[in-house]
Amino acid sequence: MDGLISFFASHHAIRAEMVLKRNGLAAQLIPGPKELSPNCGVALRFDYAQRDNALAALDAKGVRIDGVHFYRPRIDEWHVRQAESR
Amino acid sequence: MKKTMIYFDNAATSWPKPAEVCAAVSDSFGDAGGNPGRSGHRMSVAAARVVENAREALAELFHANDPSRIVFTQNATHALNLALYGLLRPGDHVVTSSVEHNSVMRPLRHLETLGIELTVVPCTQDGMLDPNSLRRALRPPTRLLVTTHGSNVVGTLTPVGALAALAREQHVLYLVDASQTAGAIPIDVQELGVDLLAFSGHKGLLGPTGTGGLYIREGTVLAPLMRGGTGSDSAHEIQPEFLPDVYESGTLNVAGIAGLAAGVRFLSEIGIKAVGTHERKLVEQFLAGASEISGVTLYGPRDPALQCGVVSFNVAGAMPSEVELILDQSFGIMARSGLHCAPSAHRTLGTFPTGTVRFSFGWFNTPAEVEVGVAALREMAVWATKGAAVPERAYP
Repeated sequence: MDGLISFFASHHAIRAEMVLKRNGLAAQLIPGPKELSPNCGVALRFDYAQRDNALAALDAKGVRIDGVHFYRPRIDEWHVRQAESR
Repeated sequence: MKKTMIYFDNAATSWPKPAEVCAAVSDSFGDAGGNPGRSGHRMSVAAARVVENAREALAELFHANDPSRIVFTQNATHALNLALYGLLRPGDHVVTSSVEHNSVMRPLRHLETLGIELTVVPCTQDGMLDPNSLRRALRPPTRLLVTTHGSNVVGTLTPVGALAALAREQHVLYLVDASQTAGAIPIDVQELGVDLLAFSGHKGLLGPTGTGGLYIREGTVLAPLMRGGTGSDSAHEIQPEFLPDVYESGTLNVAGIAGLAAGVRFLSEIGIKAVGTHERKLVEQFLAGASEISGVTLYGPRDPALQCGVVSFNVAGAMPSEVELILDQSFGIMARSGLHCAPSAHRTLGTFPTGTVRFSFGWFNTPAEVEVGVAALREMAVWATKGAAVPERAYP
């Protein structure tokens, strides 16, 4: 997942996760990186290529978002390195 | 859960709670034991999920199309205070009925001292609010109409749909206190056209005490009762303005909310209509039995179609508190006597200041239990009027 949606409150983040999953889209809640999610401690990873579908689904359910970002967290590198070192 | 008593005090808080509710409360201390909305770690997220699932379940129950318009409170009193203090300002006019609980009356009497004008529309002796007398009370600058959906003393139902139409005509907001009806009578906030709906989580909705909430229609703006940490907008020292955070400062009662969601799920499987039908049958059975006992006076509409699962009565020659004590000690029946936090309602019924004895039925009550209740009244009525021996039977 290479996209991130930021929110104003966790209420919106949790609802966004439900909406995306119900629409068959990948979604994962993570601690919001401060620089991309200044207003909410929780942000949602998703597939950036699916952003039109994702945003349409959220809009249809009235879920308020703060911003949409291209985002590859360093945790992905971390997982790769952990796997290689094993 | 093993039932060893007959519990007729569901209007105060429902008992027993479904096993699913107890399990949900207990489970919430495990994986969902974090603080909701405060962090992105899995336990905080799990707690936030518990809260948001509950919010969604309640939005569905009340037919609110946006779950963020449901805010959690400690109880219905807290929700009513949030609505009343959040909305009313000096110079505003507010209208209510004469059968309201003190959770409405006391805030309104206090607001009166702050320069808000209050009109209390008298109900009939059965606790019925006539839409025509209400119509005359609504006039500019009336800002708000607040009524109960069902009386906590005699169960009388308010014609909420008709009142909402009147309020809308006069551009008056309408706050409904659904403490006695949520979970027992279907409520559709869209269809009814109410602007604010306060509910208790621990009565008909079968959740734990310490839960309740307020539905707030889009476009209705309230000032928050409390301000503080919300987990959102943390860089700012000013309260956020969006729902639900603006009204949910401080850590929520996650365990209670988990139980409340389980209660709502339990009810949804049964169907609210079925719950209402069950309670109406119990009311019908009680009214039929009790009305034949000489020495027992029934109050309220005495018509199961016009009331929720609440009935009020007195036994001639006995004080309500004596009746409550005997019901408990000799029959194992839990009832509530006195004024039920609603002095104005008792004035309306003509039972102030002595009060009445109240039975309030719930989903878990049975016709057999109601039969025991009626038989107990029969025995007590003889004792109280003819001075027969006090039932010398200790319970159990």
